[in-house]
Amino acid sequence: MIGFSVFIAAAFLLFLLLFFLGMETESADEVRSRTGDQSRHGHSETICPREVTHSIFSQEDFGFILRLGSPRLLRIYRAERKGVALHWVRRASNEIRTIMQEHARSARLSHNLKPAAEAKLFFQYIVLRLICGLLMIFIRFMSPPALHGIAAYLSNLYDQISHAQHDFEIATRIATPQDSSTP
Amino acid sequence: MSYRANPVKVYDAFDDLLRRTLSKIPCDLGRLIYLASTRDYNTGTYHHEGLSARHPGDGAREALQAAHRDVFCRLATATLEELVGQLEMYVQSSHERPDELVRTWQELEPYRIAIPMLADPTMVQLFLSNIRIALEVLRFRQKQNPLRPSGASQLPSPAR
Repeated sequence: MIGFSVFIAAAFLLFLLLFFLGMETESADEVRSRTGDQSRHGHSETICPREVTHSIFSQEDFGFILRLGSPRLLRIYRAERKGVALHWVRRASNEIRTIMQEHARSARLSHNLKPAAEAKLFFQYIVLRLICGLLMIFIRFMSPPALHGIAAYLSNLYDQISHAQHDFEIATRIATPQDSSTP
Repeated sequence: MSYRANPVKVYDAFDDLLRRTLSKIPCDLGRLIYLASTRDYNTGTYHHEGLSARHPGDGAREALQAAHRDVFCRLATATLEELVGQLEMYVQSSHERPDELVRTWQELEPYRIAIPMLADPTMVQLFLSNIRIALEVLRFRQKQNPLRPSGASQLPSPAR
């Protein structure tokens, strides 16, 4: 009976994760069109400037609002920060998918794939997508400052994957220069 | 940052802009709104009569653009407390009634046009959100202390 309950709980958690990941994928385009995202051709090596990530999940701002002692202000602050934090997670999830698609394209051209490195990258990608899904759930129930640690971890993991793909792409281009330059 | 104009000329114009114009404006929020007001809404290009006369070519335009981005980044990553301080300084240095200015900003959101083109989208979201929170904080403080003084020097409003 306990085993069945655990199975149901795990299935429910998985359903929630998939639900939120699906939601974030749909709304990524909306986010881009709403914010006029024309600056990003491809991906960058960080989700957004580090100071921005720090500010979104800042405990200093939370402390400032708490000191004012207004429940209304606290409610407004929480709603505003949740909106920006969700935007940040959606963007991270959307861009990491783009990076992996680029990686898959580069990998097809590569003649010396390293299975161990590929497995590690894929594992990191899965972990990052799961963290994105979890963050989407947590942000709805908790204040973003409480999630500062997870956001910093996600940001570092994003950088690692992004750097790995960047290095891999350069290595592939060096190894196969005639493929891209000759008509 | 990449410049199409000669970087030395852009730097000279930038320095000139800081010394002669921006240093006279008391707060970063005022500088942001001033710099946004030098941008043509239809074309997105910047123009400043005096600066262009002293720095012909693209130098003045690119200096204005760089200064606009610079001030925006500073404000977008400022803490809420700093931003509230900026907003208070801006309100005090305008000739408008503080409660009316806050109400107008909350209703019309004129600060949206102060965002530079091609700014990072998450930074834009954070800035807009922080301004909304800062306006609420200001309104809260005004309710607690309705007789706050307003200053004398006048800044351009975002609609001008």
